[in-house]
Amino acid sequence: MSVGKEMEVGSKFAGVPYLLDDTAAQAYERGLKHPPRRGSRINIHTDRAAATRAGFAAPIAAGEHTIAIAMQLVVDAFGERFLRGGGFEVALVKPVFFGDTIAAHARIARAQQDHLEIDLWVVNQHGAQVLTGTARVRTAEQ
Amino acid sequence: MAEQAAGKDQRLEMRAENLHQGMRLGPIFYIVESQQIRAFAAALRSASPLYQGDSPFAPPTMRLNDYALLIAQHFKGGRGGVHARHRCEFIEPVRAGQAVRVDGTVTFTQRKRGKFYFTLEYETRDATDRRLLMRQAITSVLLNPEGGLT
Repeated sequence: MSVGKEMEVGSKFAGVPYLLDDTAAQAYERGLKHPPRRGSRINIHTDRAAATRAGFAAPIAAGEHTIAIAMQLVVDAFGERFLRGGGFEVALVKPVFFGDTIAAHARIARAQQDHLEIDLWVVNQHGAQVLTGTARVRTAEQ
Repeated sequence: MAEQAAGKDQRLEMRAENLHQGMRLGPIFYIVESQQIRAFAAALRSASPLYQGDSPFAPPTMRLNDYALLIAQHFKGGRGGVHARHRCEFIEPVRAGQAVRVDGTVTFTQRKRGKFYFTLEYETRDATDRRLLMRQAITSVLLNPEGGLT
């Protein structure tokens, strides 16, 4: 995907499907281990009983993990234009269960004078949206 | 902290009654490690050149969960929460080797249809020159002491 060339409004792009299983969750944990946290390690992400009490059928993946997959799509497309002056706002609308395969999708929604607005959504293997929101990146000229 | 050195944990219990709008959390300080950047990029299965080299950028979402550090510094116990919304504004990339400072404020609390929502806004600055690097806000539904949502 070209970073230098500006995408047109309406352009769509998508990430590679991502299997969010136990191995992926453990790798994600390793990426977060510094500085160490001291919260309970028994929670809705790690324990079936805790997940059930919260109303979920099984332990669910961390919301930040799904957000990270979505935002990597924007990083891959726009690089520093996202990291320097960009941003996002998302809602986690459905839980992601371990073993789900999620895929991030994006569409250039609007071109403003100094930035592009991007619609973002992540779907699971059933086609259900688990995350929706928007991101913004600086325009190429800046 | 002195109270911890003395063996006393003076953190508040993590429950709705103890979360108030305007409550300040932090600061926390840490140094961003290149090893962590590599581990996080690997978890995303990303080969982005931005995360490689002698002075790599941190993936922009690597520090989303600093809210958990802020909460753990001020609160103990609790069942955790369910992440509902997240907002983030990137001013400058965070780099390997950079010392950063994170401060937060509880900006919104609401009990709605039996669920307790709260928003924690937090910002990351270079710890040396206080340059703003990123601003974030997380809205969560707090699990009750029994572990349920309502």
